[in-house]
Amino acid sequence: MRHLGKYLTGAAVVAAGAWAATSLAQTAAAPFTAAQAEAGRAAYAANCAGCHQANLAGSGEQPALAGAPFMAAWGRRSTKEFYDDIRAEMPYGKAGSLDAAIYQNITAFVMSANGAKPGTTAFDGTQSVQISAIATGQVPATIVNARRGGGGDEGGGGAGRAPAMRLGQILVGNIKNYTPVTDAMLVHPDPKDWLIYRGNYQAWSHSALNQINANNVGQLQLKWSWAMNEGGENATGPTIHDGIMFLANTSNTVEAFDAKTGELLWQNRLGPLATRAYSALRSLAVYEDKVYINATDAKLYALDAKTGKTVWESDIAPPGKGFNETGGLIVAHGKAIVGLTLCRGQMPHCYISAYDARTGKQVWKFTTIAAPGTPGGDTWGNVPDDMRAGGETWIAGTYDPELNITYWGTAQSKPWMQASRRSGTASTLYANSTLALDADTGQLKWYFSHAPGETFDLDEVFERVLIDHGSQKTLMTIGKAGILWKLDRVTGKFLDARQTVFQNVYNGIDMKTGRLSFRPDVLTQKTKTWISACPSAAGGHDWPPTSYDQKNDLMIIPLDQSCNMMLGHDVAQHTGVVQPEGEEKVFFMPGTDGNMGRLAAYRTATMEPVWSFQQRSPFLTGVLSTDGNVSFVGDYDRVFRAVETTTGKTLWTVRLPTVVQGNPVSFSVDGKQYIAITTGLGGGSPFSKPSSMLGEVHHPDHGQAVYVFALPDKMN
Amino acid sequence: MHAIRALLAVFFVGGFSGAACAADVYASRLTAVAYDGAMRANVQGDGHVSATLNGSSLTVTGDFAGLPSAASSVKLYSGSGIGVPGDAIFDLQLSGQNQGSISGTAKLSSKQLAALKQGHVYVQLNSQKAPDGNLWGWLLPEHVFPGANVPEKGHGFLPQLDVPGNWTEKK
Repeated sequence: MRHLGKYLTGAAVVAAGAWAATSLAQTAAAPFTAAQAEAGRAAYAANCAGCHQANLAGSGEQPALAGAPFMAAWGRRSTKEFYDDIRAEMPYGKAGSLDAAIYQNITAFVMSANGAKPGTTAFDGTQSVQISAIATGQVPATIVNARRGGGGDEGGGGAGRAPAMRLGQILVGNIKNYTPVTDAMLVHPDPKDWLIYRGNYQAWSHSALNQINANNVGQLQLKWSWAMNEGGENATGPTIHDGIMFLANTSNTVEAFDAKTGELLWQNRLGPLATRAYSALRSLAVYEDKVYINATDAKLYALDAKTGKTVWESDIAPPGKGFNETGGLIVAHGKAIVGLTLCRGQMPHCYISAYDARTGKQVWKFTTIAAPGTPGGDTWGNVPDDMRAGGETWIAGTYDPELNITYWGTAQSKPWMQASRRSGTASTLYANSTLALDADTGQLKWYFSHAPGETFDLDEVFERVLIDHGSQKTLMTIGKAGILWKLDRVTGKFLDARQTVFQNVYNGIDMKTGRLSFRPDVLTQKTKTWISACPSAAGGHDWPPTSYDQKNDLMIIPLDQSCNMMLGHDVAQHTGVVQPEGEEKVFFMPGTDGNMGRLAAYRTATMEPVWSFQQRSPFLTGVLSTDGNVSFVGDYDRVFRAVETTTGKTLWTVRLPTVVQGNPVSFSVDGKQYIAITTGLGGGSPFSKPSSMLGEVHHPDHGQAVYVFALPDKMN
Repeated sequence: MHAIRALLAVFFVGGFSGAACAADVYASRLTAVAYDGAMRANVQGDGHVSATLNGSSLTVTGDFAGLPSAASSVKLYSGSGIGVPGDAIFDLQLSGQNQGSISGTAKLSSKQLAALKQGHVYVQLNSQKAPDGNLWGWLLPEHVFPGANVPEKGHGFLPQLDVPGNWTEKK
């Protein structure tokens, strides 16, 4: 689901030496100098290694820049194309921010890292030489053995990376009169609190507060703000209890504030420091006297809510294998339940796991990729177990306390494209599915496979919203294809579906079963052939979640409108290192007049669209609705906005210093209602697509912060 | 250049409802073809085309500006879906270089006519530095955008012209 980049990378790989046959060919001297390559080494370390690794091996969805994987993607293209590409797109989130000479030096370093021999002519960005004519793909030992970087295991500055700072508990708290959070409080949250990342177990992202309403929202004022860590991605949302705001800052820093004044009460920098990629923390959780956080290096921490001190920590996944977790977590029935991400090219497969909230001991886990010989294992065809990848859980699940079931969405299977994956239209369970798991045991109660055979990275992984219509208990969700789904959450039975944005991947749906049918040329796809997909891998709908206003029966959905062309590579059926599995080109969605952002409201009982509006920039926050008939949402163009929930009419806007990204929340202290929102960079495909496509929209490449608004103490 | 165009088709309030509603006037904003970073500098620019169907004759007019290199050709193309590139079917006339105008009248076959009504026909402008495509835009029933951030009832323009079952609407 994350930043697809132009070169899609995957789990699969090539055995060492796969490039050897071609690497033996004699190569000509390259159009760069040794001095440039050496200067490029330092520039690469500062600006690129955070994502692509010090040894250029790539990480997660950030492609390898050396060896066979690089040559497979770039061998047929030219040095000028490579230079033009990195200058236009990199560093991630700061495209074009470096001097031309630095891009030229980085190009020289990458070529040399692939065995190209320096010459006497300096590379100035204009020499167009086919890369396979100068590079062998043989990587010097000094680079192969370079310390693995990125994934959050080191920092120290550079583009997108956190500046060096001291880790550990910087400020120890001494919070008095903290009321432990009980199960009953989580089931029926007090409107003055925001206890769960989406407001309640049902993921409504709705506040029952109504002091701020459609008539007075125009008078909102900034009450306080806090500059968050620079570096890494920021797409979080605060949690509030007893007038205390708990914030998942970047670099796995957890902070507590007086929610009324912004006074810092405690701060624990758990680390590791953030890199640009995969370093967002979408949420944290509170339960009893502890704050729970899943760190980006796939560790789970429980902190004392009053002091911030670490009470226990537990590994979610084996350390040092590249696993990651950014989706947040929920605490349900005494268990902290958390997902896992970046499951590719390594074992074990992704899973959802639960931990005793008091001890940190793992209670259960459910693996989201079906192995051969297990239920669902035959849905991958003949794909070997260690080549079955994906099924990440990018967003924390929801919970029905009456049914004691937790609901999770899973990401697409990898490699993305059918032709590369070699699994045809098989459902590749349990990828791109809704999973209903017993919260106490992890037992699978039911699953629904939304998009069997999906091939364009159109995940169906996002929020599962639990809505009752009379006695009917439903689950609603929307994924990257922009299809709004309604399921029976007791049985998993398909109930309804509706398109919310234009799409051209599916040409029909069986309205009895929910089974989608593909556009014919999708089914006959071949590797090394470009094929169109709308929406692009940015969605449709992506991680910025919906809101549900029960009184108006309106689900308000942030939507994203762009398309892409994808090309799948032949992916070798071996495990080992990350290999580019495809390429991508982006374009504006037909019929949108160049508008990437769309906000729409749907009545969930009937699935009828009620209103929508479009704008140039996509929305990069979730939606917060309130009982004041006001909903809040932020966008890529730095606008934080209040709209009338029932009509979509804009009532208030404020321009913040950088991209408004995260999850708005509402709470009250001493009878006063507040609205909090974060600014942030990074954020995956929904952030990277407009960075590439909206050249006229500008924002600083820093400025991550939290902002808290309220009405004036004396109203006009 | 891209002010809201006049509303000539009849859909809305509740949204466009699908293939059954054939319009005589089609339009598109021309935007960059599918690109990656290496192509980006050569596929800049913007434009607009309008096309009127009279029987099987499709008359196209339009304009463009901001190309990084001189326009070299402009053609109608037809693919297998909206947003799905395909083959050239007709050469249009071009005037100007980095900015200019587009015109031409194509006599469409019944197959091409059907493709047009499904939204599969598009205009592609090629240029010297982007000979395989600089700008493109799919010809869809002309529609009005009410303006940024102005809400519409229903889902607004949603050109799902070629999906059987009409699942943008109520079952």
